[in-house]
Amino acid sequence: MSDPRRPGKVTRYKPPVTESNPALEDPTPDYMNLLGMVFSMCGLMLKLKWCAWLAVFCSFISFANSRSSEDTKQMMSSFMLSISAVVMSYLQNPQPMSPPW
Amino acid sequence: MCSDSLGVLNVKLKMKNLYIFIAVLFIPWSFSLAKYDEFEDGDDIMEYDDNDFAEFEDVSEDTVTESPQRIITTEDDEEEATVELEGQDENQEDFDDADTQEGDTESEPYDDEEFEGYEEKPDASHSKNKDPITIVNVPAHLQNSWESYYMEILMVTGLLAYIMNYIIGKNKNNRLAHAWFNTHRELLESNFALVGDDGTNKEATSTGKLNQENEHIYNLWCSGRVCCEGMLIQLKFLKRQDLLNVLARMMRPASDQVQIKVTMNDEDMDTYVFAVGTRKALVRLQKEMQDLSEFCSDKPKSGAKYGLPDSLAILSEMGEVTEGMMDAKMIHFLTHYADKIDSVQFSDQFSGPKLMQEEGQLTKLPETKKTLLFTFNVPGSGNTSPKDMESLLPLMSMVIYSIDKAKKFRLNREGKQKADKNRARVEENFLKLTHVQRQEAAQSRREEKKRAEKERIMNEEDPEKQRRLEEAALRREQKKLEKKQMKMKQIKVKAM
Repeated sequence: MSDPRRPGKVTRYKPPVTESNPALEDPTPDYMNLLGMVFSMCGLMLKLKWCAWLAVFCSFISFANSRSSEDTKQMMSSFMLSISAVVMSYLQNPQPMSPPW
Repeated sequence: MCSDSLGVLNVKLKMKNLYIFIAVLFIPWSFSLAKYDEFEDGDDIMEYDDNDFAEFEDVSEDTVTESPQRIITTEDDEEEATVELEGQDENQEDFDDADTQEGDTESEPYDDEEFEGYEEKPDASHSKNKDPITIVNVPAHLQNSWESYYMEILMVTGLLAYIMNYIIGKNKNNRLAHAWFNTHRELLESNFALVGDDGTNKEATSTGKLNQENEHIYNLWCSGRVCCEGMLIQLKFLKRQDLLNVLARMMRPASDQVQIKVTMNDEDMDTYVFAVGTRKALVRLQKEMQDLSEFCSDKPKSGAKYGLPDSLAILSEMGEVTEGMMDAKMIHFLTHYADKIDSVQFSDQFSGPKLMQEEGQLTKLPETKKTLLFTFNVPGSGNTSPKDMESLLPLMSMVIYSIDKAKKFRLNREGKQKADKNRARVEENFLKLTHVQRQEAAQSRREEKKRAEKERIMNEEDPEKQRRLEEAALRREQKKLEKKQMKMKQIKVKAM
């Protein structure tokens, strides 16, 4: 059996072109990022504690599903925003959260 | 006479006693008067009663019982009500009405001096005696206990659980990926000169490592072999790092996938489109993939004719291709590992999934490449262990065999003619669809050119040059008009 390897015929790896790929790839991290920001703004403006907590969850989910090509700045900013929403709602109103039932 | 004298003596004695008694009485009376002289402010007059022995009464007792009552009334606690009750009970036990009055009158001056700063007076506490005490529950938000924050504790626990799952899932995926690579490394290294490349190094040297694209996707690029340009292996694991996904998988089981894409050299593969796999996968691919939808118009056929299990079906451009592909070894591979095979696709017109483009944008056929595409399911359907990766090794051998086979397989003359006709047909269809768009595009390009010409003429500063350019443009337009007229004439003549 001859050696099938041909070192002379090596081609380099080219990362797949992403012009149409983002649409095909999983949109979860983008949705969760947006949702997280919306919830944290609601929590800050309307002083709803459960919104702020949901925002923290959303930013965590977005981080877990993120692609490596995505920059960390966006992730960190949404995370910080959600944390600040939680902190602000508790500073303004230190009462514990009441369940909806 | 004796009795008379005795009588007188008795009287005298009695008188003496009386005098002594009066004297004895006089001393404390004078003493009390002296005291009265000292405290002439008036405040403490009330302190002393008509009773001369008032000063010897136990005042300390009163102050002791008063002070606890005092201190208790000023505290703002839940126990306030109950202790007050006790205090008042004691008062009722210890004193009669007279004594309580006494206590009042005696304690008030003391209270003013000793208990300055306290708002409540004992009078107030005594009036409460008559009202019933109701113990009210302090609302949750005023309680200073951790128990009232149970929702927050739940949230934090949820977050911690998510983080724990992230770490565990990430590590599991990592272990699975490396187990796969360790199992397959030898086979790959014996077949490819370059195993592992991330495209960033200056020289083409094997990194010998997987590229981690994500917490659940790992890539490996192999190159340097006869027949093929390169092979991209993608380990698409389940999203074990995302708790939501883990919970969703409990409802709907899914399995990890290994996707292998071999890019063939142009001269090493003939022109055909062929696919085999599970019926469900083929139906989905036929809808999604550009080449399968265009060239394989029939529904997936059963492979029972060739001895394949019922779970597998075949999609082919023409029967000859199927005949050629289904040789003994391939059938052996497909039957033995049918549970792990999701789809196998050989295509010379591979361009990926159908692109969802707007009407106006589709002016050119997408670029095609000769490709072999394999999708395998990792056994275990989610609950895989690193050992399961060993069972995928024979599938890699199948891939290698397929590469060699694709190079060897050539269509005969008839087959080639059919294939060429098919491709021409597809191209024509495409051109017809986009005819209008292409015309519009050509028109807009021409207009753009004219505009650019005009702008150049306007911008030209030299008036001479301007005139010359304008003349040249006019001449060109006239020529075009003439040509059109000629064509119209020719058509008219032909029609006649």
